[in-house]
Amino acid sequence: MVRYPDPVLKRVAEPVGEVTEDLRRLSADLVDTMRAMPATVGLAAPQVGEPVRAFVLDVRGHRRADTAHGLVSLFDPEILEAGDPDVLREGCLSVPDLTANVRRPRRVALRGLVPDGSVRVYRMQGFEARAALHEVDHLDGLLILDRVAAPSDLFARKVYR
Amino acid sequence: MAHYAVTAIGADRPGIVAALTGALQDLGGNLEDVSSTILRGHFAMMLVVDAPGDPDEVRASLERAAADVGVRVHVADVEAGAPERPRATHVLTAYGSDRPGIVATLAGLFSERGVNITDLSCRRTAGPEPIYAIIAEVAVPESVPAEDLHGAVLSAARDLGVDARLEPVEVETL
Repeated sequence: MVRYPDPVLKRVAEPVGEVTEDLRRLSADLVDTMRAMPATVGLAAPQVGEPVRAFVLDVRGHRRADTAHGLVSLFDPEILEAGDPDVLREGCLSVPDLTANVRRPRRVALRGLVPDGSVRVYRMQGFEARAALHEVDHLDGLLILDRVAAPSDLFARKVYR
Repeated sequence: MAHYAVTAIGADRPGIVAALTGALQDLGGNLEDVSSTILRGHFAMMLVVDAPGDPDEVRASLERAAADVGVRVHVADVEAGAPERPRATHVLTAYGSDRPGIVATLAGLFSERGVNITDLSCRRTAGPEPIYAIIAEVAVPESVPAEDLHGAVLSAARDLGVDARLEPVEVETL
């Protein structure tokens, strides 16, 4: 896991074009890492130091989940449609000491490559849509700090020394 | 390196933050948390800073900078090992027709129960029938049942004639 200010978190990640064996391994690593972290529903490749457009997501069982497509692994995701924003306080493993009120669409349609190389479209609602858009932000070098609208939207999470 | 808590207040104008933080920079200081706002035309800032050198010189330098921009500054030595920041567990919002005692009543109710207010911002609207609005973050100890506290807040709000909500702070780590 890398943390801000690692520069990989602030660059636009590279498209993969096609899904290779290495990328399938990367996706499996992302899943393992995501599952090893407490209360973590998604992870993007830049968060483990890999500047490629890949993320994984699994919101099954989350109390906020509306739609849940199970384990989602997408490469080169493209937002086809998004709308109906709301605000939620988000934390991020890559910026562990801050949280922020982030406004995001409640509804998104995403198209991307899945590990078997085929193209898939996901229509997500609610928390799953939010989580997916948080991960897509990582692929564009955007963190929750880039999404705050006012000073009152930013919070220190931890005690400090 | 000493640790200071600095407060500044005065009639607002552009350049106050620049003057005060510039003076701290010239002293070799490094800022920690800063909160600055405008309260009905009055500039108000609080900050915590680490600064080397003679405390009297730090104080004198800030006072000179403050006088240049027409604000009054107060500098307090604080301990370097900052106490822990209490973690906010709930957000209170309350609003209604303005009347004296809304904040004091709600704050008193928290105080009686050992609930710490970690952040507070209140606004009163202008005009003949002003609205008063409060948003606060509070740290509710585990020994205080949140439902009881919520009940007490709603009951006090009814007596005050304001609308109130106490919601848990929920952070989703993505």
